[in-house]
Amino acid sequence: MSRIVMRFTGVGGQGVLLAGEIFAAAKIKQGGYGVKTATYTSQVRGGPTVVDIQLDDEEIWYPYAIDGQINFMLSVADKSFQLFKDGVKEGGTIVIEPNLVFPSDEDRQKWDIYEIPIITIAKEEVGNVITQSVVALAIANTMMNAIDEDLLIETMLSKVPKKVHEANLKAYELGKKYALEALEKGPVR
Amino acid sequence: MSATREIISSGNDLAAIAAVDAGCKFFGGYPITPSSEVMHTISDLLPKAGGVAIQMEDEIGGIAAAIGAGMSGVRTMTATSGPGVSLKAENLGLAQMAEVPLVLVNVMRGGPSTGLPTRVSQGDINQAKNPSHGDYKSITVCAGTLAECYTETVRAFNLADRFMQPVIVLLDETLGHMHGKAIIPTAEETQKGIVPRKKFEGDPKDYRPYDVPQDQPAVLNPMFQGYRYHFTGLHHDANGFPTEEIETCRKLIDRLFRKVEEHKDEIESNEEYMLDDAEILLIGYGSASLAIKEAVNVLRDQYGIKAGMFRPITIWPSPEKRMYELGQKFDKVLVVELNQGQYYEEVQRAMERHNIDKLTKTNGRPFSPADIIEKVKEL
Repeated sequence: MSRIVMRFTGVGGQGVLLAGEIFAAAKIKQGGYGVKTATYTSQVRGGPTVVDIQLDDEEIWYPYAIDGQINFMLSVADKSFQLFKDGVKEGGTIVIEPNLVFPSDEDRQKWDIYEIPIITIAKEEVGNVITQSVVALAIANTMMNAIDEDLLIETMLSKVPKKVHEANLKAYELGKKYALEALEKGPVR
Repeated sequence: MSATREIISSGNDLAAIAAVDAGCKFFGGYPITPSSEVMHTISDLLPKAGGVAIQMEDEIGGIAAAIGAGMSGVRTMTATSGPGVSLKAENLGLAQMAEVPLVLVNVMRGGPSTGLPTRVSQGDINQAKNPSHGDYKSITVCAGTLAECYTETVRAFNLADRFMQPVIVLLDETLGHMHGKAIIPTAEETQKGIVPRKKFEGDPKDYRPYDVPQDQPAVLNPMFQGYRYHFTGLHHDANGFPTEEIETCRKLIDRLFRKVEEHKDEIESNEEYMLDDAEILLIGYGSASLAIKEAVNVLRDQYGIKAGMFRPITIWPSPEKRMYELGQKFDKVLVVELNQGQYYEEVQRAMERHNIDKLTKTNGRPFSPADIIEKVKEL
């Protein structure tokens, strides 16, 4: 496997950190290497947040995603999208929450941008906004085929409290469903 | 080979796990970004291991409590970031002077002052050498990988008890917060490496804790077990009582230096990466070394430039002898660090030459391998 580099961006308080840890842990369990780093501001909530995830069969030294090498980005806040989009490889995949992120026509030419209402799914369909991290996890894995799905779900469940297992399983299924639909439709130009 | 285990964790959590495995029984501290997870995790682990973790009123209280615990004979730790070290400085001096072992973990962030709380820096290299006023020899180790956040914290505890003084463990925001795989010794393996602090076993009447050879640390028995001594930050005599006697004062500071300087071989540790056939020497430590390693690989694979890296793991005392040798061997030397050149000056001193280059950064952002590759190509 060549290196998979993913970036999740949002604003502080949205809880995008967990998905990164789950990816890294699952890849390591599979026998490879996974590293997650997070960069955030000193604002408790509202500052741009970026989580970088690298998965590889070979050892990873430098822990941050290198601009221009990112295969996949998921963004749930416009200011983070604008700040970090240029790290994504030309032709790379970007998933945005269309209610909160507003790419230009130029952006849509440069990258394959898919629109999935991640927060609405978590809030209204799962019924718990905190599960957006797992919705995002499912979308990223469905689009990137990064990790064996059963292993990823097993790792995810080991990292969330038992009482929310059901909700998170539902979040994963919904994320996967929406990702498959989005892939079917193709990127929004 | 010694027994190891695979852990998926962050640098801060690994430092906390290391402390507990190394037999630490007390943590006194006050949370501060980006070190808070050390305290968070050790607060969970210590009570289960028969220890105590306490959040004090501030950073000063944290180290004061840790010193007290150290005097009772147990292994003890505090953790903070640069601003917290500034506050703890006075008590670090007290622990140096009175010879109380403790481990201080500093997860470095941008400074000076409150600086850049969530961002990476290596700006506390000079601070670690002399956090407090006065003359003493710092022992400072610096982790460069997730695994070393564990192994260097363990080593710090062993060095603190051996040399009876504070030992500083430097992490930085990148290492503290990055999350990934670490292959580390098992807890049993770590416990096997523990050498108990020296203790005076004779008649309490004959106990003179500071009456030791000039290259050795004090022998402080646990408090309240019948071995009485006076505890002070003032210059003191063999029993710890304040004195201004000329020869006693001279010998005390001389000994604080010599106990470290004459045993550097027990303290020194470093890594040499791709140095054997290298033509350009890069020097770096901590998380910057991760970018350097990546850069060395790219320089060799894509540009045919034979670069190699020397990484001090023990920062203070510096590996001056090895750096001198490398300075003689390599024409082109580049020091890479996330400050304005704090270790650069130490490298110049150790190498006894000025014509070395530096690549520095102080905007709270990490080096990318590309920064380093570009600079090396210019050399």
